[in-house]
Amino acid sequence: MDELKICYLYPDILNLFSDSGNITCIKKRLEWRGIKADITEIPVGESLNVSDYDLFFIGGGQEFEHGFNIPDFADKKAKEIKKAVDDEKVFLAIGTGYQLLGNYCKAVDGTQYDMSGAVNFHTIAREERFIGNYCFESEELGGLKIVGFENHAGKTYLSDGVKPLGKVLKGYGNNGEDFTEGARYKNVFASYSHGSLLPKNPVLADYIIKTALERKYNKEFELSQLDDTFELNANKAMLDRLLG
Amino acid sequence: MKLRAVIAIIACKFTKFLLRILKKGGTNLPGKIAVKICPSVLGVMARGVTTIIITGTNGKTTTSRMIEQCLVEAGVSFFCNKSGANLLTGITNEFAQNSDIFGRCRKQYAVIECDEAAFRQVSRYVNAKHIIVTNIFRDQVDRFVELETTMSGIRAGIENSPEAIVSINADCSLTTSLVKNVKNRIIYYGVNCPVYEDLVSEVSDAQYCINCNAQYNYEYKTYGHLGSYVCPECGYKRPETEVYVTEVVSGDLDSTTVKLKINNDEKLLRINLPGGYNVYNAISAAAVAKGIGISEDKIITALSSFECGFGRMENFHIGGKNVRMILIKNPAGCNQVLNFLKNTVKEKCLFVTIVNDRISDGTDISWIWDANFEKLEDLGDNLPMIYVGGARADDMANRLKYAGRSIDRIKIIKDDDMLLDEIDKADVDVFIMPTYSAMLSFREKISKRYNLKSYWEN
Repeated sequence: MDELKICYLYPDILNLFSDSGNITCIKKRLEWRGIKADITEIPVGESLNVSDYDLFFIGGGQEFEHGFNIPDFADKKAKEIKKAVDDEKVFLAIGTGYQLLGNYCKAVDGTQYDMSGAVNFHTIAREERFIGNYCFESEELGGLKIVGFENHAGKTYLSDGVKPLGKVLKGYGNNGEDFTEGARYKNVFASYSHGSLLPKNPVLADYIIKTALERKYNKEFELSQLDDTFELNANKAMLDRLLG
Repeated sequence: MKLRAVIAIIACKFTKFLLRILKKGGTNLPGKIAVKICPSVLGVMARGVTTIIITGTNGKTTTSRMIEQCLVEAGVSFFCNKSGANLLTGITNEFAQNSDIFGRCRKQYAVIECDEAAFRQVSRYVNAKHIIVTNIFRDQVDRFVELETTMSGIRAGIENSPEAIVSINADCSLTTSLVKNVKNRIIYYGVNCPVYEDLVSEVSDAQYCINCNAQYNYEYKTYGHLGSYVCPECGYKRPETEVYVTEVVSGDLDSTTVKLKINNDEKLLRINLPGGYNVYNAISAAAVAKGIGISEDKIITALSSFECGFGRMENFHIGGKNVRMILIKNPAGCNQVLNFLKNTVKEKCLFVTIVNDRISDGTDISWIWDANFEKLEDLGDNLPMIYVGGARADDMANRLKYAGRSIDRIKIIKDDDMLLDEIDKADVDVFIMPTYSAMLSFREKISKRYNLKSYWEN
């Protein structure tokens, strides 16, 4: 039986925006196809051996408890994460989790916090938050329209070698300036989209799953078709509202 | 007495009068006008009234209603802000409606449910004599953004109320941290034992010590992050309770019976509302009532005869069956409802969820992924069908699918009238779980169709 070993990083602190729905979604979509999902939660203080896993998920958190400054990450896990990204492991990172993958984050008071440096981008915090339903379009997935809910105070700027996950059609995206949303680099999929992201964007969910299976088994995978009526209805309802 | 305040009060009363003639239930406009004319008019009106402020994330409305019942038993006059008008404008309106045009209030007590974010502002004008903080959970993240923001607002509200007796939920580590440095008389209340056999697993909003960030140890949890927390590093822990439950004796779909200590002896109390979270609401009301000086017997009588309100476990008898409406508005509250249903439902029934995403619901509905709907599947054949309605029905239906429900056991009905038709047809008891705006509109729909009382007439 095929299997994906999934690492859910920091479910204890990066859990503010209910991004765990992404884990639920990946798990179910694997199981519906007879593929095993083995999920390991790695909270603060637990050691991380990245070679144990095929797919990594990191969600969004709040600044009050932790913010940019997560000593457990800076001291221990950042290097491992960078190693895994370089090694083309598959990542889904949302919100704070997304920001952790970059070079640095600059807080409102000007303090600069080093992140993992796994992906070439940086984030500048601001007072006002970007909040609301939004949608963006993925060129890589043939113009697929992705919907979600953004809620972030960081403005992220992509640098050389990193593509956006999509082009903003409605909303703010990375920074509200350049119409980019999220980041794509090697097998990293990063986004500001809560909602949760994957359950109502099943094509993206399957693309990430397929990427992880192909990376692991080093062969082509054809995922069987599921009945995605509910998923696509939820997607369409929001698209209709945003784009009219 | 400023002329401006008089004009504000008159304008407020007049607008309210007009709205009533026009049969509009909108509760915020008169207050908005009053605040616009004279921002400090609330301060003028609140001077001669003993004000009780009820704030916190969950349980404000039910706790307020229970406190009112205690005041009824005590035979004192009071008014309250019903129907969730709990921002500065709504509260100003309630005071105006209960004052003469010179701002002299006709009642002894004001029972004021106050939004956490609005408390700071309201406390500048109202010198509260009693404050209750029910609990602190994450709520509508797009509105408040961070727990710390909510908490600093409540803290400021308490600091602005030096004369208040403050009742605090001892089981909530976030709430107890609010009164660390205040000189007010504090009444801690809590539940000294677990309330459910089978607790849903959920994200804790406070796993780590608010002082030193070490992970709390718990002897027991009641739900969410509530329970007997103690920090192994700095020793921060649940305080001694003054009003508390020692045992949950029994519980069913209509009530919970507990052993409660208010003053000296433990008393048996049958809380006339089901669910563990209503145990908290009852003892928080008991704590406030004790602070007011109401006798133990009167408190017990009040809480056992209390009739619930306004979409909170409200029971409508429609077509020979019970249709219960239980507001869901955030994962903590929703998980409580799921805990209750999972532990209490013993017969075949129908569930209906109605999810909207207006401002009052929270525009981000991500939270449905943090609510443990998986637990509903434990009900098996007692729950053959779930109807889903509201503006975000598709998202909710999808959530239920991923919670393990097969899609032929989910029916999406976006039109409220058609949804009510289907509920009408059902021959089993119904549980409706709406978000806030859905609760208001659906309750209204039920009231109209079945000739029940509208909320603005309360």
